[in-house]
Amino acid sequence: MKRGWITWDKTELPPSVFETRLAVVRRHLAAEGLPGLVVYTDVWRSNQGRYLANFMPYWNRALLVIPRDSVPILLCGLSPRVYPWIRSVTILDEIRPSTNIAQQLTKLCEEKGWTKVGVLDLPQLPSDLMVPNSVDVPWSAIHPAPDDAELSMYRHSARMAREILNEELPSGLGLVDHEFVGRLERKYRRGGVEDLVILVTNGDTPPLPPNGSTLTPSFSVSVAMEYRGHWVKIVKTLQQFPGTSSELRIELLSGPYPYEYCEPADIGEGAVFAAMTEATVNGKRIFLGDSYWQGPNGLL
Amino acid sequence: MTLNQNRLTQLTSLMAEHDWDLLLLYGHTWRKDYFRCLVNFNFSGPHAVAALDRSGQVHVIVSDPWDAEGLPGAIFAPDFAAALQPYGTKRSVAIAGKEIMQARFTNADHVSATYAVEELRRVKNDDELTRIRHAAELSDRGYQHFAQAAEPGMTEYELVAEVEAFLKSNGAEDNFMLIASGGTEVVGMKPPTERKLQVGDSVTTELTPQIDGYWAQICRTLVIGEPNAKQLEAFAIFAEARQAGEDLLRPGVNIADVARVQNDVFRKFGYGEYTGPKYTRVRGHNLGLHPDENPYVLEDVNYIVKEGMVVIAHPNTYLPLSGYMVFGDTLLVTAGGCTSLNTTERKLFQK
Repeated sequence: MKRGWITWDKTELPPSVFETRLAVVRRHLAAEGLPGLVVYTDVWRSNQGRYLANFMPYWNRALLVIPRDSVPILLCGLSPRVYPWIRSVTILDEIRPSTNIAQQLTKLCEEKGWTKVGVLDLPQLPSDLMVPNSVDVPWSAIHPAPDDAELSMYRHSARMAREILNEELPSGLGLVDHEFVGRLERKYRRGGVEDLVILVTNGDTPPLPPNGSTLTPSFSVSVAMEYRGHWVKIVKTLQQFPGTSSELRIELLSGPYPYEYCEPADIGEGAVFAAMTEATVNGKRIFLGDSYWQGPNGLL
Repeated sequence: MTLNQNRLTQLTSLMAEHDWDLLLLYGHTWRKDYFRCLVNFNFSGPHAVAALDRSGQVHVIVSDPWDAEGLPGAIFAPDFAAALQPYGTKRSVAIAGKEIMQARFTNADHVSATYAVEELRRVKNDDELTRIRHAAELSDRGYQHFAQAAEPGMTEYELVAEVEAFLKSNGAEDNFMLIASGGTEVVGMKPPTERKLQVGDSVTTELTPQIDGYWAQICRTLVIGEPNAKQLEAFAIFAEARQAGEDLLRPGVNIADVARVQNDVFRKFGYGEYTGPKYTRVRGHNLGLHPDENPYVLEDVNYIVKEGMVVIAHPNTYLPLSGYMVFGDTLLVTAGGCTSLNTTERKLFQK
C-alpha cells in the first residue's frame, strides 16, 4: 500500500527543524534573486517534499511552493476534505485545490507578480509541468548533506528494518515467497512503516518481486522500507557470506526517489545510500546489503 | 521478453494511422501502466521504456540492472536520458506517458500518445480479464479478512497491516487502500491513522489489490456493533444509488448518465448537495493497469461506454446521516449490461 500510517511526531521532528531547512532555501533564493522555489512531489518521488514540509502524498502529485518571504503553499490534486488531515501531519497551512497543478502554479506566479521562479531539479520535472521562466535549483544547493534530525530518522528506520528482518528471516525457509512477504508486511506495517518494497530470490536471479516460489536455503531478501518518510534498504540471506564477494551495487537513498541505482562515484560526501554485494555459494547467488551515510561512522 | 501480442497489433495499427515512426511507452515506479500495457513486467525502476517501431520491433530500456536481469532482452542504461536520445531523433516520435516523463527525457517535437493508448487499454481482452477476475476474487477475500480482523480497540493502521499482509500473502503485487472510521465527523477516506475503532463506528474502506499488473476494487462499509437507524437509512440510499448506476451501465450509454442516475437517488432523498466535489470526488472510474483510470464516472465527463470495459461505479460520499459511506464493485461491461466481478455480499456489514 502507498502509503500506510502517515503521521508527524513533533518529538522526533520538531517544527524548528523545518524552519531551519526553509531558512536554507530562502537564503539560496535570495542569493540567486529568485522569489520562490517549486518542489515537485508524488506518491513515489516524495523525499524532497518530506524534507521541506513533511508532506508525502498517499496518492496523486502536488507542487510545494516556497516563497522567499512567506509561508509554503501546497498546490494539491487531493480533495479539500483531506486538507485538515494534511495540515495535521505537515507544516503546511495554505493548501490550494488544484485539479491542474500546472495552471494553478501559473496563476500563483501571476498573483505574486513573479516573472521567474526556481524549480528544484528542473530537468527532472515532469514534462507537462514545465513553466516559462523557471530556473534550475539543484537539490545539492539546499540539501548538501542530511542534518542531524534527518540522520536520526534514517538511523531509526534502519534499526527497525534490521531488527524485524533479523527476527523474521529464519522463518522464511520453506515458505512460499508470497507468504513470507506477507509475514514481513504485517510486522513492519504494525510497527508503523508507511511503505515497503520486498524483493526475493532463491539464488538464480537477483532479488525480484515474489513469484510463488518456495524459499530454499540459498534465498536472499531485499527490504526497502519507509518510516516517517525516510527510506532505507537492507538485504539479507541465511547463508554464511564468504569473505570475498563480487559486484558492489549502490543505490542512492537521499536523492529524489526512495532508492535509485547509481555508480559508486556518484555518492558524494553526506549522501545516504544502500550498498549491496553478492557472492556465489554452491552455484547460487546470495546477497547482502545495508544502508549507510557517507560520513563518520557510516553505517546508519 | 513476453509481449502482449494483441496490444502489439493495436499499437502498430495506431502508429500507421497517425504516421508515427516510433512509439515510446514510458513508465516510472508509480505509473508503470503505459509500459506494462505492452511489456507486462513489474520493474523496480525508477524508469522503463518500451520503444516500438512500425515493423513491430520492440526495444526495452530500464534504469536498474536487476530489472534488466529479470527481463531478458532489456537493456540496462545507467544514463537513461542518454539511452533515450537516439530514439528521440526519429522523424516522428510519439510517447505514451509523455506528460509524466521527466523533461530531460523528451522535447517539444515529441507528440503525446497518452490518450490514444489509454483508449486502446479501456477495452480488455480475455487475458486481461482473467487477471482482473483474479484481482477481484482476491479483493473479496481481502474484504472478508478486513471484516474478520476489525475489532474495537484496534487502530486503523493495525487493521490495514492485517489486510496488507493477507493480500501480499495471497499473491498481490500491490494494493491501494484507503480507510476511515467514526461517525458524522468523517468526511472522507485517507491513509490509516492511530485512531482506535469504537463501537458504533462506520468503518469504510476501498481495497484495490493488483495481480499481474491489473487492479480490481471493492468498496464496503462496516459498522462496529449494531447499526443505528441513521446508518441504516443512509445505507439504503447508497444501495439504491449503486443499483441505479449498475442498472444503467451498458455499451452505448454515456458515462455521465451513470453518474447522473446515482446522483438522482441522492437528490430524490433531499441530499443532492452531497453529490458535488465538496463532499465526493468521483462516482466511479475505469480500472485496469492503473487503479484510477479515465474515464471518471462524473456528470460532466462525456464518454460512451464500450463492451469489455471494467469500471467501478461507487456512489461514495458524505451524508449528514452517517458520515462518509462507500459501496461498490468491480463491474465488467457486457453486451447487454454489466456484471459484477465481486462476490462479496452487498450489505452493510457489521461486527
